[in-house]
Amino acid sequence: MDITAWSAISPYGLDRSCFTGGIRSGRSAMRWTDPAGPAAARACLVPGFDQRDVLGRKGTKGMDRMTGLAVHAVGSVHASGPADAAVVLGSTAGSVRSMMDFTRASLTGERPFDVDPATIPSVVMNTPAGHCAMWHGITGPNATIASGRVAGLLGLSYARRLLRTGRARTVLCGAAEEYSAARAWLWHHCGYGGGPLGEGAAVLRLEPAGASGAIGTVLGLDSRLGTVTAVAESALRRAGITAGDLWAVIPSAPAERDELAGVFGAEVLDRVPRVAELIGDTGSVSAVFQIAAALAVGGGEPGPRVALVTCADAMGTTAAAVLRLHGTGGPC
Amino acid sequence: MRRRVAITGLGVFSSIGTGAAEFAASLRAGASGRAPLTAFDAAGYAHSFGCPVAPFDPSSWLHRVRPAELGRAAQFAASAGRMAMADAGLTEAELRAARCHVCVGTTEGGSFELDQLTEAWLADGPERLDPVLARQVPAQSLSVAMACELGLADAEISTLGTACSAGNYAIGDGFDAIATGEAEFAVCGGADAIARKTFTTFYRLGLVTPDHCRPFDSGRQGILIGEGAGVVLLESLDSARARGARVYAEVLGYGLNCDAFHPTAPDRASLARCMELALRDAGVKREEVDLISAHGTGTRANDSTEVSAIRDVYGSRVPPVIGLKSMLGHAMGAASALSAIACALAITGRFIPPTINHRQTDPDCAIDCVPNTAVDADLHVVQNNGFAFAGNNAIVILGKHEAIR
Repeated sequence: MDITAWSAISPYGLDRSCFTGGIRSGRSAMRWTDPAGPAAARACLVPGFDQRDVLGRKGTKGMDRMTGLAVHAVGSVHASGPADAAVVLGSTAGSVRSMMDFTRASLTGERPFDVDPATIPSVVMNTPAGHCAMWHGITGPNATIASGRVAGLLGLSYARRLLRTGRARTVLCGAAEEYSAARAWLWHHCGYGGGPLGEGAAVLRLEPAGASGAIGTVLGLDSRLGTVTAVAESALRRAGITAGDLWAVIPSAPAERDELAGVFGAEVLDRVPRVAELIGDTGSVSAVFQIAAALAVGGGEPGPRVALVTCADAMGTTAAAVLRLHGTGGPC
Repeated sequence: MRRRVAITGLGVFSSIGTGAAEFAASLRAGASGRAPLTAFDAAGYAHSFGCPVAPFDPSSWLHRVRPAELGRAAQFAASAGRMAMADAGLTEAELRAARCHVCVGTTEGGSFELDQLTEAWLADGPERLDPVLARQVPAQSLSVAMACELGLADAEISTLGTACSAGNYAIGDGFDAIATGEAEFAVCGGADAIARKTFTTFYRLGLVTPDHCRPFDSGRQGILIGEGAGVVLLESLDSARARGARVYAEVLGYGLNCDAFHPTAPDRASLARCMELALRDAGVKREEVDLISAHGTGTRANDSTEVSAIRDVYGSRVPPVIGLKSMLGHAMGAASALSAIACALAITGRFIPPTINHRQTDPDCAIDCVPNTAVDADLHVVQNNGFAFAGNNAIVILGKHEAIR
């Protein structure tokens, strides 16, 4: 399975070049503390993003931020693409802000059904993926992988099945998360720890191996309940790659990095800047941003490079992907 | 060469029964799951009937995970997974020895718990929300709970949040995982719990009936929301035969597409295209299909559009088309999984479950909906429709085990 294009709308800005510049510079995108969030909680927002400004007024009434981010990121890799492409988007719980606002309106309104019907799409988890299809006219399989932090890599696995079985010839595979005080409070009370929250959306265009213009190839994938080390070793085995072949190892969080430091050297672990420490914990987008970071740092350089991307969700699932970056047609 | 895929275990929590045997008996009897809703304070709504699952004690089903740590939908999912494994005559050790695929479809995930958190926030502010409830909100909790309950570690564990066709999506994904050889066993299906948010959404859209749910009827007024879980255990047909397992049915194939048209209004041409995709994937000719289990929500728009799309595909020879939501209500993410299980039980039990509450067929839905009373039938191929909000269509084709090629 090949990667033929990618997009990222991130706390560094609205497009791929902003993301590439930010990641390569290693500069933090953390500038804001939400007065409505948990005490002194910092957050990384996509600067200047308002779905009505970026996408236009038409069709954006009631649209939530997560859907707006997804529509923008999918559009960036779909320009004049095939209408029967598949859309596979990761999520954690959808737009919890929209859902809580909706239920709050039901609980506090004069009547319990005095809710704004324009906001109804935003309270359903598959709206970002479904709306991407509507906005861009994409009629292929349309899936929402609601698997939290590992959703990006489970999305790759789901996409690979769609391609292997001929259910799609092109898959637009990524994830979107929005920052909100509601998400920050819920995450705070979950008590899983971790750094400030981030937001954004990133999408990979995937096609069967041998695609023209490929900028990367997915060599191996694995996911399970267990340690990051175990899933990483299994993904490497499946890819036929040894630790010595790796140019970079890109974990999703500091705890993963600490664990992997027992297996991989500091040089490969430090090759790509630590994405979550720069743009925050982006939930289901984490792994897609990690892959984007690999492409941003290594994709433009000459010669192929092999990267290992790992992810762990607080509920215990782990996933890993092994990618070859082709070193041509890299970031702009 | 893809492997043939068998359904060998069923797990069911529904408004008309728990477990395959009770569910099959209720389907044959034309039972109704309709009851007043008690999951939330329904004061202020003009009507609030639905199809809830009768109170159940998750601790009598769950061996490994602690019920108090799971949200209601996750309790349904994990319990139904446990039930499907036992029904297949498999042990945890047998599942653990193989690569597995765990996939739960859902519309709402942890929305029942999120509603409670919203209520608590209103009362006391955001500083003192219950951490146990907060951890039940992320939708991955459903599939992770099921995997943990079965002690599965070497498994791809995912939750598919594709709304009201998510059960079919999950069965389709499990089918692909087995057919391609990625996994040896798949535990997959759908789960959801009734919540204020869900009910209010449908109510505000004017889609909740004050009456009974009457798919295809001239007097139909909408849906009744339901809940529960439907989980199937899938394995290759070779594996099922080698261990002498009972095969309820084979999954012959499935189709997925997206209307890319409107969040709630179904698109006739797109539904027809999805049926054609499913039939082609299953290698089945339309004249071989003996029964269609419709999405059949009982709303004005869905039923007439769905029947029109069926006519577009099947022409003058339309097989019986039943609306199981007349009995089960609309169990959201569990709906198409429960419906697939009903189809498998119908094939095995040689009957067609009825569309209940039926008085007069709408001329716009002129099909044989097998009104009110089950009929005996030898079913070889059955099409199970699942459509969702945002135009996410998923159709699964099941076949009688002995009859297939």
